[in-house]
Amino acid sequence: MTCDPQPPVPAARIAETDGQLVARTLGGDRAAFGFLVERYAASVRRVALAVLGDPDDADDAAQDALLAALTNLRQYDAARPFGPWLMRVVANAATDRRRRRRVRHTEPLDPRLAAGGVAPDAETQRRALGQRLREALAQLPERRRIAVVLFDVEGYSHAEIAHVLGIPEGTVRSEVFHARRALRPLLQDWKEHE
Amino acid sequence: MTQDNTPFDHRPDPVLGSALRQALAPGDESAFVAALMGSAERAGAASWDAVLARWARVGVAAAVIVVLVAGYVMRRSPATAASRLAPVADALLTPAAQGAELDVVLTSVMDD
Repeated sequence: MTCDPQPPVPAARIAETDGQLVARTLGGDRAAFGFLVERYAASVRRVALAVLGDPDDADDAAQDALLAALTNLRQYDAARPFGPWLMRVVANAATDRRRRRRVRHTEPLDPRLAAGGVAPDAETQRRALGQRLREALAQLPERRRIAVVLFDVEGYSHAEIAHVLGIPEGTVRSEVFHARRALRPLLQDWKEHE
Repeated sequence: MTQDNTPFDHRPDPVLGSALRQALAPGDESAFVAALMGSAERAGAASWDAVLARWARVGVAAAVIVVLVAGYVMRRSPATAASRLAPVADALLTPAAQGAELDVVLTSVMDD
């Protein structure tokens, strides 16, 4: 059985910097915006999901954020990195949506999984861990959630996260620390079951 | 979870990062990108419509002003032309004035 090969990504497209793609987008090249979206879609959706908890809400927020970024692209300072600017737009869009939302749509946690019960296989355990992590994230203050996801998942520096959240760098370090302290026990539990 | 759990830990935690990445894994990315680009196209078309609508409103307003000004000018123009031409016509048709002009011309020619 053969798999359909994925279409190769043109090398020029990979080599283009965010700044070049932004400039082309501002020049009316809609395809350049598409490349930017492909580059950042996963990060944007993860950050939105971390804030909102619900995948559909998160995708709506991510879409709103990317369209807002397109509309306000002239406000982006090309001398600074594009990622943190975009993440700030995303964080604001997700936060706004969360404030507007009246009812949270979260799947109820399986009591056996919540209690750390033995799951039948590794994949189920992995899914259970994911659900518990999402639940644990949801218990954290919003700023803490964004900070830990941007730092440990997306790889942004404390300084960049400080720019995204509009808070001092030291506060970012503190937020990441507290988030890790809340989340790491879940990983320990998972590793013990493995 | 290979690092010290201290507030001064400035390195990303790869284990926690990987677990969170899986926990927050988004769904079908190509569908998301396609939907987004569709929305962007529609937003772009809508903005073009808005621009054209603005231009249309300005165009209609300009046309109304041009029509009003033209109407005003057309109404005023015959009277103005007539009033400007009247003294010339009077001068040409007045025998005395015509005679005086001719006298002046003939006198200057004779002197030369």
